[in-house]
Amino acid sequence: MGRPGGADMTLGAWAELVASGLIAGGIYALVGLGLNLQYGLMRILNIAHGEFLMLGAYLTWMAHTVCGISPLLMVPVSFAVLMLLGLVVHRLCFARLAATSADVDVFEARGLMVAFGLMFLVQNFASWVWGGELRGYDYMTSPVAFGGAQFAGNKLLVFGLALLFALALMAVLRMTLLGKGVRALMQSPVGAQLVGIDTKRLHPLMFGVGLGLSGVAGCLLSMAYTITPAMGEPYTVTALIVITLGGFGSMGGALAGGLLLGVIEALGMHFTNPSLKALLSYAVFIGVLLVRPRGLFAK
Amino acid sequence: MSGTMNPRRDVVLLAVLAVVACAIPLVASDFLVSLALSCLMYVALSSSWSLFCGSTRYLSLATSAFFGIGAYTCALVLSSLPWIMSVALGALLAAVVALVMGAAVLHLRGTYFAVLTFGMTELIRHALTYFEKQFSGTVGRVLMEVPEPSTVYYTVLGIAVLTVLLAIVVRQSRFGLALSGIGADEQRAQTLGVNTRLVKLGGFALTAACAGAVGAAMAVRWTYIDPVTAFNPFIGFQTVLIALIGGAATLWGPVAAAVVFSVLAETLRLQLPQAYMMALGLLLILSVLYLPGGLASLRWGMVLGQSGARARERRE
Repeated sequence: MGRPGGADMTLGAWAELVASGLIAGGIYALVGLGLNLQYGLMRILNIAHGEFLMLGAYLTWMAHTVCGISPLLMVPVSFAVLMLLGLVVHRLCFARLAATSADVDVFEARGLMVAFGLMFLVQNFASWVWGGELRGYDYMTSPVAFGGAQFAGNKLLVFGLALLFALALMAVLRMTLLGKGVRALMQSPVGAQLVGIDTKRLHPLMFGVGLGLSGVAGCLLSMAYTITPAMGEPYTVTALIVITLGGFGSMGGALAGGLLLGVIEALGMHFTNPSLKALLSYAVFIGVLLVRPRGLFAK
Repeated sequence: MSGTMNPRRDVVLLAVLAVVACAIPLVASDFLVSLALSCLMYVALSSSWSLFCGSTRYLSLATSAFFGIGAYTCALVLSSLPWIMSVALGALLAAVVALVMGAAVLHLRGTYFAVLTFGMTELIRHALTYFEKQFSGTVGRVLMEVPEPSTVYYTVLGIAVLTVLLAIVVRQSRFGLALSGIGADEQRAQTLGVNTRLVKLGGFALTAACAGAVGAAMAVRWTYIDPVTAFNPFIGFQTVLIALIGGAATLWGPVAAAVVFSVLAETLRLQLPQAYMMALGLLLILSVLYLPGGLASLRWGMVLGQSGARARERRE
C-alpha cells in the first residue's frame, strides 16, 4: 500500500489507484444495472439481488473446480441459468403479487418482504450446500504492465467484461424495439400498456435479465476474489447505493454511479482508513437519499 | 381495523399469560427458562414493532438499531447505575435516536423509508465500530457485574407485559386511532386534523423505547458486547418477520408468532441452523403471497368464510 498524501505519488501509482477503483466500480455498475432494471421497471426492490450474484459465483467455482470448465465459458452459462431462475421466481412470487396487490405502493412493500424471504432462503441454501468457508481458484493471476502501472490480468478481464455487459444492456435498451418498450414502461406504465406493450411478457423477461446480470457479476467476481455464502449482502447494499446515486430507473446513471462509487471508495480508503469504507458508503447513500432522492444526475 | 376489539378480554388474557410466565422459572429447567426468555424478548420486540409499523404501515427496519443502542448503553453504564436505571436509560436513548432519525426520514413513505431505516442502522453500527477501534482502542466491552439470571428474566417479562399493555391502551386511544388513520390514508388523516408528523414521531419513539429497553435488559446475557452482536441485523429481521407472519395489524398475532418462532428457533438452530433460516424465508414469502393479513387473519377466513374476506377487503 502507498503512503497517504498526494505529493509524492507517481503517475503510475495514481493510475493504479484509480484503476482499482474503476475495476470494483465495473462490478458495482453491473450489479446496480440489474437491480435498477427490476426496480425501475417493476418496482421490485430486490433486496436478494446480491444473493443471486453469490449463486453465479458458486456456479462458476463448482464448474471450474469440479468439471474443469473455463470460467470464461461460464459467463454466458451463469447468465442463462440465473435468467431461467429469475423467470421461475417471477412466475412463482412476483406475478401473483402483482395480480393481488391493490396499488403500486402495496405491491412495493409486499415485494420488499418477499425479497427479504428470498434473501434468507438463497443465502442459507448456499451455506447449507457449500458450507461457510472461503472458496476460490486461481485464474489468470499473472500481472499485466501498462506504462508505469501493474494490474492483475484477471481483474482487467473482469473489468472489461463487466463494462461490456453493462454497455450491451444499455445498447439493447436504447436501440432495439424491445428496449423501446422497456423504456416506455419505465416512463409510464399505463401509457405503455395503452399503446399495446405487453407487460405480462416484458416483466418476467426483464426480471430474468436483471438476475442474469447479477449472475454474470458473480461469475466475474469469482475469477479474481474469494467467495462465501455471505458475499452477496454487501453487493446488494452497494447496488442500492449505486442506483440511488444514479437515480432510480436511470441506466446511464447507474453505470456512472457504479464507477464513481468504486473510485470514491478506492480514494477514500487510500487517503483515510480502510475501516472507514463501509461508513463512507452508508454516509454517501443516506446523504444522497435525503438530499437528492431522485439521484445525483436528475434534471 | 381488526373488527371486534375487546380491551377487557385482552387485559385478562394478558394477566393470565403473565402469571404463567412468572411461574416458569419456579418449575422449569434452565433450558426452558432461557427458551421462555427468548420468547418474551420477541414478544416485546414484535408487539412494539406492530404498535407503530403495523398500524401506520411504515416498514421500519431499524429495530436492531434501537436494540443495539439499548444494549450498548446498558453495557456502558451498568457499573455506575442501578439495574433498572440502566435499562430505563437504554430505552430513553433509543427513543431519542428514534426522534432524530424519524425527523429525518418520516416524511418519506414505503420503500424509501424501509431502505433508509436499514441504512441508518448499518451506519450507526459501523460508526460505533469505528469509534471503538479508533478512540477506545477496543472492539467490544466486557460486562463485569451482571445481575442474577432471574432478575433479567423478570425484567424482560415486565417489559414484554408493559409493551403488550401499551399496545392495548394505544389501540383504545385517540393516538392509536390517529396511527391507524395514517395507515389507511395519510392525507385524509391530515385533512381531518391529525398532526401526522407529531403522531408518527411519537409512535416511532415509543417503538424504539420498547426495543431499547429489551436490548438493555438482554445485553447482560452476553458477558461480552461488541457492535456486531449488539446491532445484529438478524434480530431486527426476525422481529419484522414475526410481526408480519403473525399479522402486524392485530394485537395477539405477533405475540403468538413470537412464541412459536422463538421455540422453533431455539430448538432447530442448534441442529439445523440453515434449515431454520430457509424455513423462515419460505414462510415469509408464503405469508406475504397468500396471507397478507398474517396468520391472525387465518382464523376469521376459515371459520367465518365470507365475512373474513370482507374484513380483509376493509383492511386493504
